[in-house]
Amino acid sequence: MRMSHYVLPAGMLLSACGSDPTPTAPAAASTGRSIRVEATQHRLANGLRVILSEDHAAPTVSLCVTYNAGSRDEPPGRTGFAHLFEHMMFQGSARVGKGEHFILVQANGGNMNGTTNADRTNYFQTLPSNQLELGLFLEADRMSALAVNAANFENQRNAVREERRLNYDNRPYGRTYEVLLETAYDNFAYKHSTIGAMADLDAAPLEAVQAFYETYYAPNNAVLALVGDFEPDVALKRIRSYFEPIPARPAPPEPDMTEPVQRAERRATLEDDFAQAPRIDIAWKIPPGNTPDWFALGVLGDILADGESSRLYQTLVKRAQVAVEVYGGAQERRGPSLLTLTILTRPGQDLDAVERELDAVVATLQQKPVETWELDKVRLQTRRQLAQQLQSTLTRAVLLAQYAVFYGDPLYINSIEPKTAAVTSGDILRVCRRYLTPDNRTIVRTIPSSRKQKP
Amino acid sequence: MTNAAGRRESPPHARLAIVSMTAVLAGGACPGLLAAPDGKEAPVSQVERKHLAPVSKEVLRVRLPRPVEDRLPNGLRILVLEDHRFPTVQVQLQVGGAGPIHEPADRTGLADLTARMMTESAGGRSSEELARAIASLGAGIEVSAPFGSTDLQLTASGLSDNFDAWFGLVRDILLHPDFPEDEFAKLKKRSAAQLQQQRAQPTFLAHEQIHRSLYGTHPASRVSITEASLASLTTDHLRSWHRDRIVPQRTLLGIAGDLRASELVAKLAQTFGGWTAAGGPEPAAPRPDAVDGPRVTLVDRPASVQSRLVFGGLSVDRRDPDYIPLTVMNRILGGSAAARLFLNLRENKGYTYGVYSRFSALKYPGPWLAQGDVRTEVTAAAVKGFLVEFRRMREEPVPGDELEEAQRSIVASFALSLEKPDQLLGYALVRAIYGLPESYWDDYPASILAVTAADVQRVAKRYLDPARLRVVAVGDAAVTRPALEPLGPVETLDVLGRPIPP
Repeated sequence: MRMSHYVLPAGMLLSACGSDPTPTAPAAASTGRSIRVEATQHRLANGLRVILSEDHAAPTVSLCVTYNAGSRDEPPGRTGFAHLFEHMMFQGSARVGKGEHFILVQANGGNMNGTTNADRTNYFQTLPSNQLELGLFLEADRMSALAVNAANFENQRNAVREERRLNYDNRPYGRTYEVLLETAYDNFAYKHSTIGAMADLDAAPLEAVQAFYETYYAPNNAVLALVGDFEPDVALKRIRSYFEPIPARPAPPEPDMTEPVQRAERRATLEDDFAQAPRIDIAWKIPPGNTPDWFALGVLGDILADGESSRLYQTLVKRAQVAVEVYGGAQERRGPSLLTLTILTRPGQDLDAVERELDAVVATLQQKPVETWELDKVRLQTRRQLAQQLQSTLTRAVLLAQYAVFYGDPLYINSIEPKTAAVTSGDILRVCRRYLTPDNRTIVRTIPSSRKQKP
Repeated sequence: MTNAAGRRESPPHARLAIVSMTAVLAGGACPGLLAAPDGKEAPVSQVERKHLAPVSKEVLRVRLPRPVEDRLPNGLRILVLEDHRFPTVQVQLQVGGAGPIHEPADRTGLADLTARMMTESAGGRSSEELARAIASLGAGIEVSAPFGSTDLQLTASGLSDNFDAWFGLVRDILLHPDFPEDEFAKLKKRSAAQLQQQRAQPTFLAHEQIHRSLYGTHPASRVSITEASLASLTTDHLRSWHRDRIVPQRTLLGIAGDLRASELVAKLAQTFGGWTAAGGPEPAAPRPDAVDGPRVTLVDRPASVQSRLVFGGLSVDRRDPDYIPLTVMNRILGGSAAARLFLNLRENKGYTYGVYSRFSALKYPGPWLAQGDVRTEVTAAAVKGFLVEFRRMREEPVPGDELEEAQRSIVASFALSLEKPDQLLGYALVRAIYGLPESYWDDYPASILAVTAADVQRVAKRYLDPARLRVVAVGDAAVTRPALEPLGPVETLDVLGRPIPP
């Protein structure tokens, strides 16, 4: 192979504006230059939305194609199908053989993957920038002409069954999150897990693959984000030549996401063959992401459960010593979301007493404003995490595409830091009183099964 | 807030396990839909190459930036990489000789507990005060001494906006931990609960037994603190370990990010100037004995719906010349989703969600491991599948195209590391920690490209040696044992590691 020489340029992604975006921030916590991603938006004739974010700091490109399809679109009896379908997108298309996708990306120095959640499915790769054409070719070929056969479908059905066993059925607390969703939600869209029920995976018919593809995998139902070392005019031309010939199709049905108001506390208990100690999981229903209350709930969730400085860690793990681990926070969903907490108890605790400790922590947050250092913590941790995660062109591509699909606004990415910083202690009091009520919560207890092995 | 990068969406289901090099193999007696154990009858799903994709044959050759290096009079080595793209700073610090490999056998967990206690209280701050101080500055500071490691590690990150403030906490955690009794008692209680919980995880059970099998009495055989050592260790033990082992002349401090290197080095000379050297150079890591023959170990985990399979041997230390051909061999065998194990056992056979191999080259020969979780019924076929791939590596020269793709994948992927200062710092630290030549990373691509099919076969024969192969399975023994018996006598253990009579 030939080698070309690449000189590392010193590019800048960030606009280094010195102004303080959070004028209310206390002087103790200095605020530096703003973290912004710049991008341009385009729409092809077939409806495909394209987002370009140029950055020559490293000789790499990341490409992410996000489809507006997720497990929320699955009807009863078809749970797990959006994700099983995602696996089929690596099984070959008109000009790409089964498994060839992995080989082509890896052999040329890249990384790739695909992920599915309730709200969307995405496919991405990071490549050395001279292989941009390869990335566009791979994504366009499977958007335009997926090749599906029975043997490959059975093969991936088996891979997904093992994924389910690995992550749910063969590990402690593997079923807990599914039970939490089933109990908390009434609307089927979010009531079931993305991995799906084993019986539904077993029953999924081959014909459904083509039908799902035709319904959801249209260019007008997708967003393509490209971030990194490319010339925008050239890249856009290449994107047009690869993707614009793919015909638009009728828009897929919008799922009904309405969720009835919860009027009373819900509880469930499940036995777990592998768990060694009881675990308590709590979910409160909260509004979707990108709503006025969501950011305040996000900050509240971090004050409650993010790290060793959090109220629940200090109370349950350190003072009362009834738990060994506590984590949680506000989920960001397109539809009715959840603020969840997980409390892994120390063996031998009275679970009612653990819940009373939790209730006392929540009650305090409903009565007294949070402290300034707690607001500083969330604001600065958010800033650092954003800065670190956005170093990756892939994270930028994934988030730009995701926010375009979720909120019609890829540059929502730039409002995370200022909107988090703008949350006040008054906002937190208000949302804590409004949403973190007993009637609005679901509690799932996972108990070591009586037939489990003795340690 | 973790919503920042969508980390708290409903959990995504990836097609591949992104980070984990662990995989599951499914094995068993009755054929599934396409998993006829002999692979002959079922409809076949086969990897296929069409060769129609536009690929640039050029490989971008990138030069990794060289850090600014310095050494203070007390022996502390400093590496600094400036990177002003984002307003953050990352710190990676390693103290050689302070890891579990160097702790006495009857004090298992001494290094681990010392590390964990260092962030519990330091510089006169209580545990809660320290946690608040770190969090409210937007920083993250972690200290660990992972089992199998010769070193204690401190990693920290934060904003460049307030670097001096949070780096002061790093200094106190490293040099002035307080080891209070009450926090140690609490940590012991949490650890006791974690000891019990880890035994529910097939990954832990397999990890424990493969290390025991490969390393015998070598300290790398230990993968976890024990109940006995937890009961006997005191804060005095931790204090002396910290006093004797956290010394500047064995410490390497790497910092990358939005700082001026020259100013930083001067500042560090002040910060760490008073830290005095003691105890001489880093002690050498003990070398493990050669593995003396094959062995098969089964951990009975009732109610399992998969078998976890691990195949292993000893690899090399990081300075061994075989490191380079092993890197290429591993990429071909099981280093990615484009490698033989994955394409065969998952993409062709559907036994597993994922299967990978890797090897660790440390200051002593680490393990090479090939592993996966497979559905119980195809355990026997999956075991056979692993062995077939090991044999192919040993007995058949790797075809030219496949070798070239593996080499290209390693060399070309260097470009990706230029996005991330912590990865660039990681490369610089590897060179410094293992005493590799100045030009090591500049020469690395050429070394990889110079590997021949004969080199690959030679290291495969040497390291994938069936006469020294160690196998561990974790699953339901009633179903899994018959699948393992063709490999030889099977030692069966319960989840606590106690022998179960046949």
